[in-house]
Amino acid sequence: MQSQISKNSQRTKRLAISSMFACLALIFSYVEAIIPFNAGIPGVKLGIANLVVIIALYEMNFRYAFAINALRILISGLLFSGVFGALYSLAGGFLSLCVMWLLKKTNLFSMIGVSMAGGVAHNMGQLLVAALVVSNLKMFLYFPILMFSGIASGIMIGIVAYVIDKKVPKSLFK
Amino acid sequence: MFKIIKKADIALFVLLILIGLGLSWWSLASGTQGQKVVVTVDGKLYGTYSLVENQTVEIRQRGRLNKITIKDETVQMSYSDCRNQVCVKDGKISRTNQSIVCLPNKVMVEITGGEEDFDAISN
Repeated sequence: MQSQISKNSQRTKRLAISSMFACLALIFSYVEAIIPFNAGIPGVKLGIANLVVIIALYEMNFRYAFAINALRILISGLLFSGVFGALYSLAGGFLSLCVMWLLKKTNLFSMIGVSMAGGVAHNMGQLLVAALVVSNLKMFLYFPILMFSGIASGIMIGIVAYVIDKKVPKSLFK
Repeated sequence: MFKIIKKADIALFVLLILIGLGLSWWSLASGTQGQKVVVTVDGKLYGTYSLVENQTVEIRQRGRLNKITIKDETVQMSYSDCRNQVCVKDGKISRTNQSIVCLPNKVMVEITGGEEDFDAISN
């Protein structure tokens, strides 16, 4: 009985936390959309919203992280980048979340490694969809650039996520 | 701070960098020796020339003059009456999908492979 109640309360707590996280991720998406950070190559961006997803993945589980990410992408697609942008992001977000989840399960990698792989996988997913839509294999000439940018931004986000994860009280998710 | 990085992270990092370098090398070297020189002016086909025959072609259109020189299976823009001369400085090209563009005169020189069918599909 006791455990039933505490389980229910944990679910309610996590529901509230994930909706907050989805909002936060959405705000990060917005911040990213208005920052004039442009490396001159389409697709190269920071991916600050990934911060939220990584912390959700570590502190809660895959399902919550997935729901947060999917919500974030759908809403930000409707608000900022358009439906096609959302399609790219959805593929990238799903692939990167799966890769991060698998790597985390091995317990071999730190948050930074996981985030780095996630960044690369995100770009790869986006590029796959782009190549399908345009049906032009020349798109893959972009891949090395997106790969390096994914590594760089993934490491940065990983370090920040690690620092934030240390500061966030664990009782928030229990 | 750096204690949190594990060995597997470094291994993954090196692996990804190597894949990235490999892919960039591959994408640079992926073109094969071309067979034909295709010249288009303002998007319209001007002429197609063999890359094997040594020759100089004058491209005259609307009072503008460009010259391409085909020699030893490479092609270069040897003369252009445009102002910026970017196309002339581009130098020689010989591999498929490489191109020289003279924007002021709207002349584009591209190299394609021999088989037309393949080009139709890949485009």
